[in-house]
Amino acid sequence: MSSTILQLLINSLIAGAIYALVASGFSLIYSTNKFIHFAYGATIAFGAYILYLFFNILGLSFGFAAVLTIAFTSFLGYVMNFFVYKQLRRRKTSSIILLIASVGLLILLESLILVLFGAGVKIIGFIKVSEGINIFGAMITPLQIFIIISSILLLVVISIFIKKTKLGKAMRSVSDNKDVSEIVGISSEKIYSLSFVIGSAIAGIAAILIGLEQNLEPTMGTNLMIKGFAAAIIGGIGSVRGAILGAFLLGIAENFGIWYLPSGYKDAIAFILLFIFLLFRPQGILGVKRRSDK
Amino acid sequence: MIEAYFIHLAILVGIYLILALSLQLALGYTGLINLGHIAFFAVGAYTSALLTLNGVPFIIALLCAGIVAMLFGFLLSIPTNKLQGDYLALATLAFNFVVYAITLNWTSLTRGPHGLPGIPKPLILGINFSSNLKFLLLTIIIVSITYLIIKKIVDSPFGKVLEATRDNELATRILGKNTFKIKSIALTVSAFFAGTAGCLYAHFITYINPSSFSIMQLIPILCIVIIGGMASLRGTIIATIILILLPEPLRFIGFPSSIVGPMRQIIYALILLLILLYKPKGFFGKVEIE
Repeated sequence: MSSTILQLLINSLIAGAIYALVASGFSLIYSTNKFIHFAYGATIAFGAYILYLFFNILGLSFGFAAVLTIAFTSFLGYVMNFFVYKQLRRRKTSSIILLIASVGLLILLESLILVLFGAGVKIIGFIKVSEGINIFGAMITPLQIFIIISSILLLVVISIFIKKTKLGKAMRSVSDNKDVSEIVGISSEKIYSLSFVIGSAIAGIAAILIGLEQNLEPTMGTNLMIKGFAAAIIGGIGSVRGAILGAFLLGIAENFGIWYLPSGYKDAIAFILLFIFLLFRPQGILGVKRRSDK
Repeated sequence: MIEAYFIHLAILVGIYLILALSLQLALGYTGLINLGHIAFFAVGAYTSALLTLNGVPFIIALLCAGIVAMLFGFLLSIPTNKLQGDYLALATLAFNFVVYAITLNWTSLTRGPHGLPGIPKPLILGINFSSNLKFLLLTIIIVSITYLIIKKIVDSPFGKVLEATRDNELATRILGKNTFKIKSIALTVSAFFAGTAGCLYAHFITYINPSSFSIMQLIPILCIVIIGGMASLRGTIIATIILILLPEPLRFIGFPSSIVGPMRQIIYALILLLILLYKPKGFFGKVEIE
C-alpha cells in the first residue's frame, strides 16, 4: 500500500518536473508579452524532432546535437516574435489577435513536422531503457532521476535569473509596467524579443529531456502546451514560481487521479482543472488580479 | 468521374458554409471568441451517427444532432458567460479538448479511436440520398435554411443588440439589455447549426473518429471567418468557396496523400497569419476582432 503511494508520488514528481519546464518557459514569455503564445508547445515538439534529425539521422554526438537543438529553438522563438508578433504589436492589436496568430503558428509548426518527418512515431534512444532502481518498493529508472535533477537545477537557475540578474529585473519591470520601464530607459521591444529567445531556449532544453523520456509524435506539442498552460493557470499565470507550483500539483492530480479513474482520462484531468481554475480563480493560486481586467 | 469530384467538393463547401456561418453568428456578430466550435460539430456528428446506427430515422437524428449540440452550447455558455478576451478563448479551447478526450475515451459509446464506421446515408420519406448528387441537393437545402435563419437573426432588432453587445457590452447593459442572456442565445443557436453540419458530415463520409474533430479542423473555419470579414455573411460565403477549393490543386501536382493533408493546413495557417498581419478586417468585414 505505502509502496503504491510512493510510486504514485515518484510518477507525479517526474510528470511535474517535465510540466514545470514547459510552464516556466511559457510563463516567462507570457509575463512580459501578456498574451498566450500557444505555439510554445509546438516549439518544444519541433526541437525534439531537430534533436532526432541531428543525433539519429545525421549521427552527430549527443552533446553537440543538444546544443544545436537549443540554438535552433531560441532562433525559432526569435523568428516568430520578429516576423509575426512584433509586426502585430506595431499595429497595437489586441491580445486576442496575438492569440489567434499563435494558434496559426502552432498549426503551421505541427504541419511542418508532419511534412518533414512524417506521421510515424520516432525514438531518440540515446539512453537505453534500463532496469529501474527499487526504492522501498517503488521503481524509478536512472533516466528519470536524471530528468528530475536536471529539471530542478534548471528551475533554480531560472528563478535566480529572474530575481537577481539585471536582465531578469528588466523583464519583471516591463511585465509590471511597460510605460514606466520605457521612461527609465528599458526598451520593451528588446525585452519582448529577449524573453522569446530565453523562453524558447528553455523549450529546447525541455525538448531534449522529453525526447529522452518519451516517443516523438507530431502532435505532442499541443498536449504539452495544454499541460504547461494548465500548470501556469493553476499556479498563477505570469509568475514563474506559480507555474512551477502548478506543474507539480498537476502532476500529483493526474497520477493520483488515474488511481481512481480509467487511465485514458489522464489527459482530461488537466483540462478539467484548467476549466475550473479559469472559471473560479483565473489568477491562479499565487497570482494577483490583473488591474487591466474589465 | 470529374463530375463526381466536383459534386464531392460542392458538398464539402456546403458543410463548411454551415459551420462558418454559424461561427460568424457567435464570433463576428456577437464578438464571442469561441475556439470550441469544432466540439459542437463533433457532438452533432456523433449524436446523429449513434442514433441512425441504432435505427432512428435520419430526419429525427438530424434534429437531435442540432438539439444536443445546442444543449452543449447552452452548458458552455453558463460558466463562460462572464469571461472575456483570452480567458474566453482558452475556456472554449479547453472545452474542445474535453469533448475530444470524451470521444476518444468513452469507448463503450464512441468506440474510441476505432471510430464509427458504416453510418447510413440519409433516408427521408422513402427518398434515399445515397447518391452524391441527391446528397448535394439535401446539403443545398440545409445550407439555404441555415443562411436564411442566420440572415433573419442578424437583420432583426435582436441582431442589432448582438452587435451592440460585441461593440460595447457595458453600454448595452446600461440600456437595459440582459447581455448574458443575449450571448447565451447566440452561442446556443450557433451550436445548433454546427451540430447539423456535423450530422451532414457524418452521413456524407459515413465514417467518423475522434481525429476528424481535432483542433486542426478549427483552422479552416477560423480562417474563413477572419478572411471573409467579421460580421459579413457575404464575405463568409465567398471565403468558404475560395478557401475550400484553394488547396485542391495540391492533389494534382502529384504530392503523396500523406503530404496533402498537412500541406492544406500549412496553406491555411499561412493565409491566416498574412490576413492578421496585412488585412485584419478581412475582405468584407465591418469591424476588427477585439
